[in-house]
Order: sequence, then C-alpha cells, then structure tokens
Amino acid sequence: MTFALFVQSLFAGVTNGFVYGLVGLGLAVIFRGTRVINAMQGEFSTVAGMATVLMLDHWPIPMPVAMLSAMVIGGVIGLFLELVPVRALRRRGGTEDSYLLLTLGVAFTLSALILYFVGRDSRLLPGIGGEATLIFFDAAIRVHAIWLIVISTLVMVGLKWLYTGTHVGLSMMAASIDADGAATTGINVPLMRTATFCLGGLIGGLAGMLITPLTTVRYDMGMLLTLKGFAAAILGGLTNPFGAMLGGVTLGLLETLAVGFVSSGYKDVIALSILIVIMILLPNGMLGRIGRKGG
Amino acid sequence: MHKTLRPRISLVLMAVAGVLLWAALPVLVSRHVVDLLVFAGIYSIAGLGVSYLLGNCGIVTLAQSVFYGIGAYCVAYFSAQHGLPSGVGFGMGALLSAAIAFTVGWPTLRLSGHFLALATLALGLIGQTLFLELDWITGGTLGIGGLPKLSLLGWNLDTPQRFYYLVWPIAVLVMWLKHNLTHSRNGLAMRAMRDAPDAAAVAGVEIHALKVKMFMLSAILGSLAGSLFAHYVGFVSVDSFGVDRSISFLLLAVLGGVHTSWGPALGAIFVTLVPEALSRFGEIHSVLFAMTLVIAVIFLPHGLGGALERLLRRKAVA
Repeated sequence: MTFALFVQSLFAGVTNGFVYGLVGLGLAVIFRGTRVINAMQGEFSTVAGMATVLMLDHWPIPMPVAMLSAMVIGGVIGLFLELVPVRALRRRGGTEDSYLLLTLGVAFTLSALILYFVGRDSRLLPGIGGEATLIFFDAAIRVHAIWLIVISTLVMVGLKWLYTGTHVGLSMMAASIDADGAATTGINVPLMRTATFCLGGLIGGLAGMLITPLTTVRYDMGMLLTLKGFAAAILGGLTNPFGAMLGGVTLGLLETLAVGFVSSGYKDVIALSILIVIMILLPNGMLGRIGRKGG
Repeated sequence: MHKTLRPRISLVLMAVAGVLLWAALPVLVSRHVVDLLVFAGIYSIAGLGVSYLLGNCGIVTLAQSVFYGIGAYCVAYFSAQHGLPSGVGFGMGALLSAAIAFTVGWPTLRLSGHFLALATLALGLIGQTLFLELDWITGGTLGIGGLPKLSLLGWNLDTPQRFYYLVWPIAVLVMWLKHNLTHSRNGLAMRAMRDAPDAAAVAGVEIHALKVKMFMLSAILGSLAGSLFAHYVGFVSVDSFGVDRSISFLLLAVLGGVHTSWGPALGAIFVTLVPEALSRFGEIHSVLFAMTLVIAVIFLPHGLGGALERLLRRKAVA
C-alpha cells in the first residue's frame, strides 16, 4: 500500500466514521433522554434524504432551504414517533425490548412506504460545494466530506452545551434519570421526552441530508445505518455525546484499514470481530463510566 | 369438584379439537398455505431458541441466522455433495453449531444488556459475510441446489403436505422440552439469574456457565431448523441466512410472547401467514404488515401467546 493510498483510505475511514457517529449521536440522544433504543434512527435519515431529493426534483428551492427542511422533516417524524406509538406503548407499560420492537416496526413501515411511493431506485443529492475536492498528500477528499465533519463536530459540541449549559437540556436529563423527582420539581416530563425524540429526529434528518451526497439514498438503507450507528454509539459509551463520534471514527477506520490490508470481502468480518474484542475489553465503552454497562 | 373438573374437560376437548384441526389442515387448505405452514413450523423451532434465551435468560440474540445457516449448509455439504445419510447433516450441524456457540459464547456472554445484543448482531453479520466469502463450501450467491428430500421409514417427504406432518410434531416436541426445561431446577436457576443475578450468584448458580449452556442449546435448535429448511427447499443460498432472518426470528419470538412455550409457533404463523393474507391488497401489503406489527407490539405486551393464555384462563375461571 502506497502512502497516498493509505492517506486516501484514512480519509474515507474518517468520513464514514463521522457518518456512523452522526447516526449514533441521534441514537445516543434518544437513549439518554428516554432509555429507548431507537431502531429507526437510520430511517430518519432515509426519509429526510429521500424527501429532499423529491423536493429538489419538483421545486426550484435553494440548497440551504432543502437542507433545513430535511432537518425539519426528521424532527417532525421524531415528534410523531413519540406522540403516537411510543406514548401508547408507555401507557401500557412497555418493557425495554418492546420499545426496540416498536421502533423496528416503525422502521419497516417507513421503508415499505418509501418503496411503495418512490420505488427501488438509489437517488443522489448534490453535495455542499458540489463535486469539488481538495488534495492532501496526493490524496483527494471531497469538500462535502469536510463539511460533513465540521457540521457533525458542531452538532456534537452543541449537544454538549445543551446538556450541561441550558435549562432545557438539564430538564431533559433530569426527566430521564429520575422521572418522578423531575416531575416534583416542576419539569414537564412527557414534554421533555417528546422534545428528546424531536431532537433525535432533527439530528437524523441532518445526517440524511449530509450522507445522501456521499452514499446515495435508497428505501432499504436505514437498517444498516442504524446498526453501524448503534455500534458507534455503544463503542463510545451510549451516554456521552463525544463517545458516539469517537466510536464512529474508530469503526470507520477499522473498516477501511481492514479493506486496505486484507481482502475487501472480509471488511465487515474484521471490523466486527475487533468491535467484539473492544467490547469485551472495555465494557463501558471508550468514554463510558463505570457501572453503566452497555449504557 | 365439578367446578374444578369442568374447565379441565373443556380444555381437553379444545386440545382434541386442536389436534384434529391440525391433522385435517393439509386437506382443507391449498397447497400454497400448507407450504407456508411448513415454513411456520421450521421458523418456530428456530424462534423457540431465541424466545427462551430472551424469556428465561434475558438475552437478546441476533445471531440465530448463523446457526440456522450452519444447519442448512451442513446438510448441503454432507448429504448433497458427499452423499452421506441425512442424519450426518443434522448431526454435524448441531455439533458445529454447539461448538461455535461455545467458543463465541464463552467470551461474549460476559457482556450484558445492549452490549450483548450488539455482539450477537455483529456475529450475525460476520456469519452472513462468511457464508458469502467461503464460497468453496457454501456456493456463495449461486448457492447449492439438488439437496436430497428426507425420507422417513421408507416414506418420501417430497410434498408440503408430507413435510407438514414431520415438521410440526418436531416443533411440538421441542416446545414440550422447553416447557419442561423452564419448570426444572435449571429453569428456576435461569429465572433467578434473569431477575436477580446477584442473589442467584450467592445462591450458587453458576451464571456464566448456565448462560453458555443455554446459548448452545438455542444454537442447536437454530441448526435443527436450518437442516429441516435445507431438506424441505432443496436449495440453499446466502440470501436465506442474512441478519434480516435473525431479526424475523426475534420478531416472531416477541410477537408470540417469550414467556409461553407455544408462543413462538403463534409468532411464526403470524409472520408467515399475515403477509400472505395482506398480499391481496397489492403492493401496499408490506406497509400494512409493518403497521400490523407496530399495533401488535403496542396492544399485546405479552405477545399473542400471553394474550391467548389470559383469554383461556378467563374462560376457565368463568
């Protein structure tokens, strides 16, 4: 492997890593705020990405507006997810596993809806900065990929600030850690849960918007995104916003380096085996705290 | 005395009616529906493994498709390619699955919660990739065809109707074994381990060893189902052993209810027959099926099995 090729695969790994991290971030936000593992996090991105493609097909709207509306679409789906099925299940006393299945069912529903209304085609969005690339050490990186990294980092820092520096964020955390205690201090617990899902949806929508120019969007891509995001979030420690990004980049690098050094067919085998080993060695995630196994 | 006897009699009558209905079904319904019912039987065997891991040990497994695949490929390898008797395929599948479950389960079953779920998911994905990459054994995407049909006591099980009478008794036998296991000393230890692991450990339950044992047992069930599948379909390819298969095993287990022995059978019938029933609505049927799933999860917290059991109990009391 030449040096340029090595740098090139590092770039690819880091970019993929931030994609996984962004999905993982949405998962972590929802887990942090509601203790629900949201198996349809990837679907936020799929639906938002696809909706943006369709909007740009039909209306001459500028890119930033399309981007913003993709986020809003994700947020609205998150809102409905919490208001209708999740609340209905909570009223009936759902267990941890039943939320997983519920969101899995919603994920199937959304991807089946896209298949029905849009079809099997993969669709592409123009990236930020178009197809322009920058060259470092003889390796090319797309301007869009740099934007993706910058925006993801901003989201991560923003979340950190939200959870430590704002009233809303602290209320969200309180509602999740001790619902009864939070309610007695006047926090509207159900509202905080709804807001949490909405926030997860916003991040998912943004992720879809950023991913589509790199990987295209297809009706069935949500599940794999969710899985990789889940891996990223758990690897980094589900409760730490920085963790998801770190986990995502680790996973992305493992994958691309596996492709570089071994055959590409075994990419997932190697990355996932290393993932299992890391989990056994670091049962609290890379940035997790003691006593929070698996989140 | 009559009051306690009467519900029992009605239960026995219902059981007899159920068996008669089961025996008559292949004659009453179309060949296509019998075909689906055979798949339901196969899935309920694999799903049972998933179900009791979740219900009794609190382990979410997404690796069942791997053992299902091993069972199927062992039949393809030993029976179809080397012409050995079908028992060898079944046996090697079970043996290999148990060995792999032991090797992989020993380190990973120390994990807990979402970590363990992710680890089993990773296993499922690894298996899916290996089935594709090790194409000198598995035939890769092309698969392996021409698998021999099973024959039992000189009776060739070459139609859906005939296979139906093989697969369901096996499924019922396995469910009965599971019922016994749940109510045995080991079952008690498992429930203690699930609900109060520290207390169980103090009481002398070897938690880790027990979990590994149960994981191996579940793997053997997955392999058994896979071997049956291979003999029934006569063709194996990677597409049948992906992670989506694991997800559907988990789905049918939860849908059926993880605390009843016969829940997986109900769940398996649901995931095979309901999409079929909905298919007359045209292309939209996959949307409808997914929505049915969401509604079932919300309104049947203990699965179909739990709901039915409560209904029966209420009947028995009334």
